[in-house]
Amino acid sequence: MEILTLLSANLRRHKGSLIGIFLLMLIAAGALGTVLSVWTNSGAYVQSEMEQAGFGELTAWVSGVPDISELSADIEVVPEVERVETQPLIFSNYKANGGESDSEGQLITYVPNENRYKFFADDLSGYREQPGNIPSGEVYVSPSMMTMLDVKIGDEIIFPIARSGRNLTLTVKGFFEDPFVGSSMIGMKGFLIGEADRASALEILKNAGIDALARDGAMLHISSESGLTVSELNGVINEKTALAQYAEFVHGKDAILGFMVILQNAFCGLMSAFAAVLLIVAAAVIGHSIDGTINSETVNMGILKTVGFDSRRLRTVQLLMYLFPIVIGSAAGIILSVPIGTFTANATITTTGIKIPTALPVGLTALFFAAVIILTGLFVILRTRKIIKISPMSSIRGETEKVRFSPEKTPCAFGFGMNFRLALRQLISGKRRYIGALATAMLLSFFASLIGRMDGWLGKDGKGMMDAFNPADHDLGVQIFGSLTAEETEKTVLEFSEITDSYWLAMPSAAVNGVDFTINVIDEPQRFHILEGRSCISENEVVLTEFVADNFGVSVGDTVTVSGGKGNGEYTVSGIYSCANDMGDNIGMSRAGWLKIGNDDPRLWCKHYFLADPSQKAAITEALTTAYGGDVHVHENTWPGLFGIISAMRMLIIVMYALTAVFILIVTTVTSGRIISAEQKDLGIYKAIGFRTDRLRAAFALRFGITAFAGSAVGMLLAAVLTDPLVSAVMRLAGISNFSSAPSVGSVPLPIGAVTVLFVVFAYFASEKIRRTDLTVLISE
Amino acid sequence: MKNVILSARNVCKTFSQGGVDTEILKSVSADIYEGDFTVIMGASGAGKSTLLYSLSGMDSISNGEVLFDGEKISGLSEKKQAKLRSEHFGFVFQQTHLVSNLTLFENVAVAGYVGKNRSVNSVREKALKLLRQMNVDNAKDRLPSQVSGGEAQRAAIARAMINSPRLIFADEPTGALNKSNSAEVMRLLSELNRNGQSILMVTHDVRAALCGNRVLYMEDGKILDELNLPPYSDGEEKKREQQVNKWLSVLRW
Repeated sequence: MEILTLLSANLRRHKGSLIGIFLLMLIAAGALGTVLSVWTNSGAYVQSEMEQAGFGELTAWVSGVPDISELSADIEVVPEVERVETQPLIFSNYKANGGESDSEGQLITYVPNENRYKFFADDLSGYREQPGNIPSGEVYVSPSMMTMLDVKIGDEIIFPIARSGRNLTLTVKGFFEDPFVGSSMIGMKGFLIGEADRASALEILKNAGIDALARDGAMLHISSESGLTVSELNGVINEKTALAQYAEFVHGKDAILGFMVILQNAFCGLMSAFAAVLLIVAAAVIGHSIDGTINSETVNMGILKTVGFDSRRLRTVQLLMYLFPIVIGSAAGIILSVPIGTFTANATITTTGIKIPTALPVGLTALFFAAVIILTGLFVILRTRKIIKISPMSSIRGETEKVRFSPEKTPCAFGFGMNFRLALRQLISGKRRYIGALATAMLLSFFASLIGRMDGWLGKDGKGMMDAFNPADHDLGVQIFGSLTAEETEKTVLEFSEITDSYWLAMPSAAVNGVDFTINVIDEPQRFHILEGRSCISENEVVLTEFVADNFGVSVGDTVTVSGGKGNGEYTVSGIYSCANDMGDNIGMSRAGWLKIGNDDPRLWCKHYFLADPSQKAAITEALTTAYGGDVHVHENTWPGLFGIISAMRMLIIVMYALTAVFILIVTTVTSGRIISAEQKDLGIYKAIGFRTDRLRAAFALRFGITAFAGSAVGMLLAAVLTDPLVSAVMRLAGISNFSSAPSVGSVPLPIGAVTVLFVVFAYFASEKIRRTDLTVLISE
Repeated sequence: MKNVILSARNVCKTFSQGGVDTEILKSVSADIYEGDFTVIMGASGAGKSTLLYSLSGMDSISNGEVLFDGEKISGLSEKKQAKLRSEHFGFVFQQTHLVSNLTLFENVAVAGYVGKNRSVNSVREKALKLLRQMNVDNAKDRLPSQVSGGEAQRAAIARAMINSPRLIFADEPTGALNKSNSAEVMRLLSELNRNGQSILMVTHDVRAALCGNRVLYMEDGKILDELNLPPYSDGEEKKREQQVNKWLSVLRW
């Protein structure tokens, strides 16, 4: 009963600080809950939709197969294979609204009643019933096409099936949920078309001969319960069937899932790190608040001890008092994460291509909730140890916290720049009061600097990301078909810019040690981004990504077997290189090396150019497309998904700085309230000797400015040291192994400046209380 | 003819607490003269400290007016009050009220520098001179918590003197000190007064009151009487004490 009475009184007395802690926990738990919801739901949902769409442990995309049923049957009899499902499709490039994809689309034939896909309502607010069939001339696309090429219902999409304008032009009828390539992070796109249009396209292909631009193919969904890894299963099937001969690419279920949720995972990774930072900041503020409470309540606690309260009961009151806003704030934050998650899911449909369910993962959320409560509870128990040392006599004597510092070791408080000198003295003599603000500034600046470094690496136009995905640098790639020659297209290029350098690149598929991979073939292999060893100069050498090398357990100097259309060859690994294509599942070799085992199909090769004036890329692309139409495919050093990543990064930066501002506001308000209460007498003295309120407020804000600047500088240094190892570890999950950040405006002056200015401004506003400090605090009567 | 430096005209001060109004000062009128060491005496709760702080502008008044050099100072803006305190008034409190994280020197010098166009060196020299005069120069680099109560109070007097104020307000300056420290503090204040410094002091210590040349007696929020004494000089304590005690006994002190 007496504990409840004290608790009630304490809650009233410290309501300002407790409301601040409630808000901090609300924001931190809200961020954490949203991350948990998005992370858990997106992965689980894509997986369930992949199963619904028929994806097995392995899916192979094949083309040029004489008899797809025979190949499917051959695979199905492999003992390790349980089932094979076939989905016919046509590989084709696509254009819409004047834009062109640099990756092929897949025109998938829609079969009514198969229930493989979900169809969105036109306004994307939910789902609609599946169409009975798709009439001729209509197509369903992923909503991410809205982000990538600004596609709307009623727009036309052009599929160049063969040269000389033999296109298939379809009108967008609606949107469907594609669990394989629905995300805007992936240039390759799925298009649902009707039987009639597939027949029309095949008819064009049949008559096109050498002029064909599209290819007939299929998806083979291979299910297995053998327990083999994807690579092992792929190896077994390649060994026993002709799959490798026709495979364009092969992906395991996890890799497909990785493609689809790469954006969500990146968002969740960064937001969970930010939520962790917010929780640590909240703990720092709680710690500061506890210290302030104990200092201001020392006399009362001493008196309570004289009337029989022991330390345990007094600490229990403190524990309950702080748990109150922590529990309520955390619970409210988690509840708030449901609408935030719903908003996030709805707002990102046109980027992710899927409607992420927003149900809270109850078990996981409860686990995190319990962990947060237990950890903060233990923290409160730890910080209230000081109560044990409070004795009744100390309160009777009116003992208060002593000033502990050596004045001779600090700059004199009197002299030129006295506001700064006094602020510095207050900081040095009362340093424990500012630890919360220092920790907040340090952690928030660290995170802001880390994001700034990532943004700097990404670059204004996403060059950092493109360099990670490209096996070698370039400004523009031009792929020519039919009788068109490179010399002809170069004349057009030269009308806009000098060509400073060029090389040829092809990206065929081949089996490495029995497993299908994309092979990056360059006629000048010294251009590969080498991380270790050297490039594959000789025709008997290859370079591997570190992921492929790890997968096969090989390193520089070891050999691998590569099987192409012409035969097999033993290649020595001359180096490790970086290329995040296919989540890092690719290898590189020279043109001479490829020609030992693969066919030299002219359609494979794309000429990459370096331009004296790269700003002309868009103009050159338009001129080439206008001049040569379907005979040329031009791509700049970008891909449609890049826009999504850059937009997501910008959005994250805005959200992060907004939350940072809110956090600093709360931290400053709570901390300032405590400090001003503790310094009432000193403030009264300063006023008595002639200090004006505005000067005292300026000096007060300056203390926070100095603290924030120092904390931010430490945070920035931490970011300089830790960004590369931390972010590289995360980037590796997406196949990116060349992350390396550098200082930039967004990573050094901006975080320090923003955090310092926010602290100063909010501290100045919070110091309004100084105006109300009455000189009568000095009167002893 | 003495110059009136500070005047109270029908000053009233009322506190409200729990809906109940308590009148602490009841239409007090008084003049404080330049060069005087004026002492306000009275029993606890008589309203003497309230009068001191009301006259100095540190506390607001409910009615009436306070004039300094003939100019009304009650109800001034915060900025003008700060200027007044910084340039014309000095304060010595019962609890020394030195800023806890400044050394004795810094406490004195900061008060001499704030809001004025003085050079750092001139303020430093004056602060050191005052600390020497108050006999605490050997403790100038210590914090208030590292010196005795007497040393802290002497530093507080130095702080009150740093701006060469027209008037020093002293509220029970010996109230928290032992006998020897009290005597030393009063000796310093007397010396200042002998050198022309105007002082208005509140005390209930008869021995401290002996240093003044004019004693006002307060009871129940009013000034009941006043006693004028010749200027204080050493060796006259006994005679002055008898005179003051006699006066106080008439007033039923």
